[in-house]
Amino acid sequence: MTHDRCKTAVAAGAALALALGLFAGAALGQAPGGAGARLPRAYPGAPPLVPHDVESRQGLCQECHATGAEGAPITPHPDRTPYCVQCHVGQERSVTPFVPSTWRR
Amino acid sequence: MRIDRREFIRATVTAGVASAVGADLLVPPEAQAQPPVDRWQKAPCRFCGTGCSVLVGVRRGRVVAVRGDAESAVNRGLLCIKGYSLPKILYGGDRLTTPLLRKGGRLVPITWDAALDLAARKIKEAIRAHGPESVAAYFSGQSTIFEGYAINKLMKGGLGTNNLEGNPRLCMASAVAGFYSTFGMDEPMGCYDDLELTDTVFAWGANVAEMHPVLYARIVARKHQDPRVLLVSLQTFTNRTSDEPADLAVVFKPHSDLALANAMAHVIVTEGLVDREFVARHTVAKRGLEQIGFGLRDTDEYGGRPPSWASYKPFADRGTAIGFDEYVTFLEPYTPEYAEQVSGVPAAEIRRMARLYGEPGRKVVSLWTMGFNQHARGTWINNLVYNLHLLTGKIAAPGNGPLSLTGQPSACGTTRETGALAHLLPAGHFVANAEHRKKAAEIWKVPFERISPRPGYHTMEMFRALDRGDVRVVWINTTNPFQTLPHVGRYRTGARRGGERFVIVSEVYPSETSRLADLVLPSAMWVEKEGMFGNTERRTQHWAKMVDPPGQARDDLWQIVELAKRLGLGSLFEYGKEPLRKALFEEYRQWGRGKGKDLAPYEVYTKVRGGLRWPVVDNRETRWRYREGFDPYVKQGEGVRFYGNPDGRAVIWARPWEPPAEAPDAEYPFWLTTGRVLEHWHTGTMTRRVPELHRAVPAAPVWLHPEDAKALGVADGGRVRVASRRGAVVATAQVGGRNTPPRGTVVVPFFDESVLINLATLDAYDPISKQPDFKKCAVRVAKA
Repeated sequence: MTHDRCKTAVAAGAALALALGLFAGAALGQAPGGAGARLPRAYPGAPPLVPHDVESRQGLCQECHATGAEGAPITPHPDRTPYCVQCHVGQERSVTPFVPSTWRR
Repeated sequence: MRIDRREFIRATVTAGVASAVGADLLVPPEAQAQPPVDRWQKAPCRFCGTGCSVLVGVRRGRVVAVRGDAESAVNRGLLCIKGYSLPKILYGGDRLTTPLLRKGGRLVPITWDAALDLAARKIKEAIRAHGPESVAAYFSGQSTIFEGYAINKLMKGGLGTNNLEGNPRLCMASAVAGFYSTFGMDEPMGCYDDLELTDTVFAWGANVAEMHPVLYARIVARKHQDPRVLLVSLQTFTNRTSDEPADLAVVFKPHSDLALANAMAHVIVTEGLVDREFVARHTVAKRGLEQIGFGLRDTDEYGGRPPSWASYKPFADRGTAIGFDEYVTFLEPYTPEYAEQVSGVPAAEIRRMARLYGEPGRKVVSLWTMGFNQHARGTWINNLVYNLHLLTGKIAAPGNGPLSLTGQPSACGTTRETGALAHLLPAGHFVANAEHRKKAAEIWKVPFERISPRPGYHTMEMFRALDRGDVRVVWINTTNPFQTLPHVGRYRTGARRGGERFVIVSEVYPSETSRLADLVLPSAMWVEKEGMFGNTERRTQHWAKMVDPPGQARDDLWQIVELAKRLGLGSLFEYGKEPLRKALFEEYRQWGRGKGKDLAPYEVYTKVRGGLRWPVVDNRETRWRYREGFDPYVKQGEGVRFYGNPDGRAVIWARPWEPPAEAPDAEYPFWLTTGRVLEHWHTGTMTRRVPELHRAVPAAPVWLHPEDAKALGVADGGRVRVASRRGAVVATAQVGGRNTPPRGTVVVPFFDESVLINLATLDAYDPISKQPDFKKCAVRVAKA
């Protein structure tokens, strides 16, 4: 079983459509492109967290974050794409901490 | 090394200049925002074997921030989300802060003195009654170099037992056995510079995007610079490394990589792509033992009876020299069409990949990690990928070579290099070699007779011996085996069988292992102590102690030394006025000097940002070993010399495809493969306590193919039960997202202690490397 880039791109496009449909109104409360949901960074200099689901196959972030579509913040480092999720992770905000943290700034 | 603000700015400016002249800086510019800190100090990251360098921001005695070190040649300012989360791993609310002793089934606080006295008494009683082989220590590829060297000295030179293992046995043992059998010497010849210098990167069963994200970022950056650079992703399921921008993504059936690699060699040989001069000058061909079993039961290698210490004799391979023509004959059955039947990969794709290896002038780097190493034929598949590089002469040269990636931050630096495994002494010396034991006795100033010539129990045998009762006292340090061992149910039960068994666990947080302990010792972690790590590319890095550990937690080196004193072996660690760590490192350095493993003086590592790659000769690091002009051990005119072997030649091994230890059948029709996710480190004891990482991946899912989910009547987010012949878990199904298994395969990560997937895995291991196979066993899956 193999696939090449072309097929990946097709699958990615389909997954985007699915993701946009699927995650509207999901547990996170924000569909991709939802405005005004900026989350606090872990500390100054830490990467921004993503207020919507990012689990869908990669290569999709730029659909909005290259152009600012749907009010999405435009990436200041497009050269780092497509692997945005290396640093920018989604947040299941309904989840309680595994153990309370005593970290402070 | 402390860096004040001015120095820090200067360092950043310097890095900027470096960037302008071609060394691409990876850090995003807007991440330059600086939190208020008292100082920044250098350290390697606590997590994976990439060995990124970070600057640690300390304020009022606490870690408040990290930055990727822009001066580091490894990560050039960039980190992954685990790295950026480092400040919070120290501050989970349930840090262990006092020693705990099991009393009436509960762990209750006791003093350090009482804890250490008791540990020493248990060890002495076991040795008196049953001999030194009744005690064991199980350390870690996350222990520091100082700790690895010290526990090795205490066990082998002090107590007189070689029962010292490290969790790299579960992680890198097949890589080690592969290096020794092919090159006669451990660790990669190349380095990360190859990623920018190559034209082609093969990721063999390694999800580099998630497991070595910064290296993946370097590959992606390289592809942005030059679209002709190709990334080939060979995986047993589709994952992020197979996604864009991979040029070719191949999914092969579990365990079929042996047939695939041999078929590629077949194409290289039959299509005239062999570098004949290189093969003639620098290689020999050999064939080893075959049909060697899987170590599945204690009795497998011992004529049907469980081994005792007297009968314990680990399997050893035996190679026979064959001519190159005989190797070619061996390859004949491995046509691409045959490999297609075994692997499911179309013959045309196999030919295409083989031609990338063979194409004259094309540079090729092969990467792999646990897909190859956690493999019941792990040594063989390591050998087989070396064959592809040896046949084509694409090895030990800039941009060309196999690069075995390490899982843990110091699996190389600590466990492999200080020799903290049951058969090793430091710097590539062996307990079975009398000359090496003589050297040990001299350097350690202990009687020659005290060092046992017999390899101790390897990890699987060590925990089987604990279960059987042959090992009475075990000290587990910086690792979590009662979550990570395969078929872990047996070994969890074994630990609590009682009798004379006494399990000592040094930990920073409550874990599946500390919960099964008799005695828990609270440890300091990462920058709460001074340390050194060694990464994948032979790079040794130092960091200073920056903050105090909480409560009564103490660092593991202190624990080793205090225990030694109570065992009457305190003199092993007495160095007069010399600081202990410096003295230990300078002593350790003697082992590798002139042996191709030269290290710089301790003081150099305390100063150098980002560390140095050994061998370090005349204060110069080595980027490509075995290659004239780069490696000081290769003489002028030799060109290439694989000096780990006496004849200076590497071995092309004829290794067959053999069926796996267990495969899906009517009763258990799915393959189970286990692994990690980017956001969590190993068993999650650190990363799950970081709120941002826990919210990113709160639980271990079971990834299913959509058609399998449909057939089982399971929806995305529904509960499923995954059961093998050994044990079962219930978890949430995930259909889609980062992983898409082929039909008939499920993927489950092992970080989640409420989804103990190792209850289901199989404790089959590679008889040569003794590394178990976490990537393949048979399970059934049902709606829960």
